[in-house]
Amino acid sequence: MFPLAVRMAAHRITALLAVACAVLGGATLITATGVLAESGLRSHLPPGRLAGADVVVAADQEFHPSGDLPIALPERAPVPARLTDRLAGLPGVTAAVGAVDFPAALVAAHGRVVPAGDDPGTAGHGWSSTKLLAAPHIEGRAPAGSGEIAVDTATAAAAGIEAGDRVEVVADGRPAKPYRVSAVVGTPGAGVFFADATAVRLAGRGGDGPRAGTVDLIGLKTAPGAAGRVTEAVRERVAGTGLKVVTGGERGNAVSPGVGAARSLLVLLSGSLAGIVLLITGFVTAGALGVAVAGQRRDLALMRAVGATPRQIRRLAAAQSSVVAGVALVPGVALGYLLAGRFHDVLAHRGVLPTELPLTIGPLPALATLVLTAASVQLSARAASWRTSRMPATEAVAESRSEPRTPSRARTRTGLLLFVAASTMSVVPLFSRTVVGASATSLAGIVGAIGLALAGPALIKALGSAAARRTRTGVSAPTWLAMANLRAYAQRNAGIVSPLAMAVVFVLTYTFAQTTVMAATSHDTDTGTLAPYRLTAPALGGLPEGTLTAVRNTPGVRAAAPVTTTTAVWQYEQFGEPDTESASAMILTPDATDVLDLGVRDGGLDGLTGATVAVSSDAARTRGAGTGSRVHLVLGDGTPVVARVVAVYSRGLGFGPIVLSRDLAAGHTTTDLAQSVLARTDGTADAGHRLAALATAHPGLTLTTTRAAPGGSDTPPEVWINLVVIVVLLAYLLLSIANKLVAATAQRRTELAALRLGGTTPRQIRSMMRREAAVIAAAALAGGLLLSALPLALLGQGFLGRPWPAGPVWLLPAAALTVMVTAFLTVELPTRRALRMPPAEVIRVH
Amino acid sequence: MSAPVAPLTARQTPAIALARVSKTYAGGVRALDDVSLSVRRGTFLAVMGPSGSGKSTLMHCAAGLDSPTTGSIRIDGHEIAGLNETRRTELRRERVGFVFQAYNLIPSLSIEDNITLPLRLAGRRPDADWLGTLVERVGLADRLSHRPAELSGGQQQRAAVVRALAARPAVVFADEPTGALDLRSAHQVLDLLRALVDDLGQTVVMVTHDPAAAAQAHRTLVMADGCVVDALDAPTAPELADRLVALAER
Repeated sequence: MFPLAVRMAAHRITALLAVACAVLGGATLITATGVLAESGLRSHLPPGRLAGADVVVAADQEFHPSGDLPIALPERAPVPARLTDRLAGLPGVTAAVGAVDFPAALVAAHGRVVPAGDDPGTAGHGWSSTKLLAAPHIEGRAPAGSGEIAVDTATAAAAGIEAGDRVEVVADGRPAKPYRVSAVVGTPGAGVFFADATAVRLAGRGGDGPRAGTVDLIGLKTAPGAAGRVTEAVRERVAGTGLKVVTGGERGNAVSPGVGAARSLLVLLSGSLAGIVLLITGFVTAGALGVAVAGQRRDLALMRAVGATPRQIRRLAAAQSSVVAGVALVPGVALGYLLAGRFHDVLAHRGVLPTELPLTIGPLPALATLVLTAASVQLSARAASWRTSRMPATEAVAESRSEPRTPSRARTRTGLLLFVAASTMSVVPLFSRTVVGASATSLAGIVGAIGLALAGPALIKALGSAAARRTRTGVSAPTWLAMANLRAYAQRNAGIVSPLAMAVVFVLTYTFAQTTVMAATSHDTDTGTLAPYRLTAPALGGLPEGTLTAVRNTPGVRAAAPVTTTTAVWQYEQFGEPDTESASAMILTPDATDVLDLGVRDGGLDGLTGATVAVSSDAARTRGAGTGSRVHLVLGDGTPVVARVVAVYSRGLGFGPIVLSRDLAAGHTTTDLAQSVLARTDGTADAGHRLAALATAHPGLTLTTTRAAPGGSDTPPEVWINLVVIVVLLAYLLLSIANKLVAATAQRRTELAALRLGGTTPRQIRSMMRREAAVIAAAALAGGLLLSALPLALLGQGFLGRPWPAGPVWLLPAAALTVMVTAFLTVELPTRRALRMPPAEVIRVH
Repeated sequence: MSAPVAPLTARQTPAIALARVSKTYAGGVRALDDVSLSVRRGTFLAVMGPSGSGKSTLMHCAAGLDSPTTGSIRIDGHEIAGLNETRRTELRRERVGFVFQAYNLIPSLSIEDNITLPLRLAGRRPDADWLGTLVERVGLADRLSHRPAELSGGQQQRAAVVRALAARPAVVFADEPTGALDLRSAHQVLDLLRALVDDLGQTVVMVTHDPAAAAQAHRTLVMADGCVVDALDAPTAPELADRLVALAER
């Protein structure tokens, strides 16, 4: 059977080329998505400043919901300091270091701030942490007392200092203070090292603060060959405490939970990509196979006549397609790994991913691609040959000359059901004004397009019949022929119209969903942010203490309040099932009412003291979290808390589903410094100037305006990601459509030859084909627009309060033009080629 | 190689036996109306009749390509009425060979592949000696690696005859096998069919509306309106032509 399949395949190059392209592109996309997913789950940051530690003990920076993927926790959870000494006593341990990290930055000459290390928020360390560096080359001596520091070579170079110089340092938001540089550490990016006692004091781990008596992690150095034994012993010692013992590549994840948390973005990203990629590749592959098998229907029917059983026919079609798919799969998978690399570069370049986070290149994505592609190819090929295979042999031969007379009823019905499902889905944005709610819009569009693919033949037939009736008299022969063909080859035409319509739907819904959410979000934040100014200090790792008071005391400032963003995991019940959502959460104080208007519907932000939160009305409604109720949260460092809801606000899209009181979050963030202060002035230019002067006077402070810059320079990274995805998927869709059209037109040679033998001139045939292409393009556009209209109207209504979306207007004519050009070119070129062969010869050969 | 010699009991079973077979198509068209007949082994039967007389339906049913609405059909002693499509296909490729008017060779396969296709489908190993003899006999030995489009109509039809015989079927059905051929090629094919019966003891059932073709048969059935209206033994072409004209004028 198999060699036979190959020999027959060799004769269907055009059609099978379309299948090969579909599989190639599909394999590329699936593999790339798979690589991103695997990297999100398994990739490790380089161990960096823990490279010299053999065993690292740190808190588990992941929350593990039951039955779901772990959620990364970005805020550092501490480890009891006394554990350090106990671990130091284990046999085989040569050194145990309890490391503390805190914000630190150098202030060089003229108030120029030099950030130390990669993350200014954790750039300050105790001197003993240098033991955890991989073979550091230290020039100078250890810092002693509270007036000396050591810095890494890169920072020293950036600040223009060397051992023996004096330099000012802002440590943990304290006012800049001069230190003497006692040593330069030869590990670039390692940060600023203080004497151990000073570090403990600066990090707030002494005394009775919320993090007193803790360290960030414990690094162990072991005697040669003892690492395994020590790891076992440490695991035993910390069992039951929830602490993690990591070695090797996993140490990288312990370096910085904040950076490591970005890894989980890859999981989210690939998760949201997987759905659309699988839908589209499955659709395209099935479509290409449909054309390939349809072109072979006569051969298959003849085989039935000479004794092939229905199953053998389906097996033959499946085997043939699998051979082609197999050939295309290998380069596809290889390209997928390359594509994932490119995508990673784009994300890293946009600052969405840490540049040092590598991709995990393993065999799993290739394996998954193989299984998914093989399954979809086998299934599609068998489905495509199902009807021909099941027919009595005599009918099969008779029918193979034209198309199956009536599109199957079950198929049409399934298509109509999908339309209903799509319409139902598009209602979601009316009720859920969230990003997840908006994603229903594009999904509704795609489901509708699949419905069109299924119900298409019946619809096109009806359309063609109506058109043929109207054009029976008084039109030119080519037009009449084109209309007749439209009806007679409804299935073939639907196979071309539906992917084109899918491309239109996909581009319109996906792009407009993005832009609409973006418009609604920035509308939320713009109208909700009363304060025109924002003060930040990214290079210092947080705002120095006293900034808030200084801002409040500036003449002309009416109100000021600190705003910090962290992550919170919300545990709730939905439809009786426990569920979790990890969301970005603002940390606010009661005086935030003066600078932010979250659109409070119930309660008030002035109650944000103690263990309290405010929640968005969307979240409050769906999770039964009205004012006065209690919500179960896991804070950014993994601490579970129960908090009372004191306010419900409407601008959840712009400000997130949850706001934490500062009292609740205190001690549960990596640094306790505020990330920003929002300031509202009396509106005079003077007040603005004074704030600007305040920022200049304090090294590291940056004053920005809260009004969004025109031109969208602050386009969020998700939008960039989605744009890249749209472009890649669209290219794939268009390529496969073009392939399919070329194959479908090439298969019409016999038909065209018969027309020519019947006296149709080549010019008339070209003109007929152009009219068909025009009708196909028009039908695809109309279908695409109709399918996008309802979801987008409802999206606009839900998010913007008007029945149309926000976004670039040129998208529509651009989509129309693309569809027109694709349809025209891919019909015109193969038609010309077909016309070059003398018709008698075509008839003889086929 | 020798003519197939079946045991006595099998020899007495007719190659094809139809008992009270009717076929009604959707829409109420009665293409076969209570037809009974049997075809003895080693005979050449022709079925004639005007268009729409039911001769093609009779052949399709008798060959197991289609199933009857009522009645019993036995091929080589095996009942096929009530079998599903797969079982019928399996029975067919074991015991029935086909020659179509339009040759129906698969264009993408070579002549050799086409000839062995039914055997492959049945998962059987081709009998090289038998095929060699057949190919030699029909004069296609040097054409095996060619594709159907590279052969003349007569050659293609002869290849189709070899394909029909490849599995040594109990009966070969030929549906207007000369309909698309010129006179000389048509003669060659008819001579070939007759020789298969005379030399190899093969059973052949041929549907045709050409009296000259039917005259090659041992026996000719004449059909009209779904019924067998006449049976003529060893008729001549003029006799048959008269009979058909009479039918048409009725």
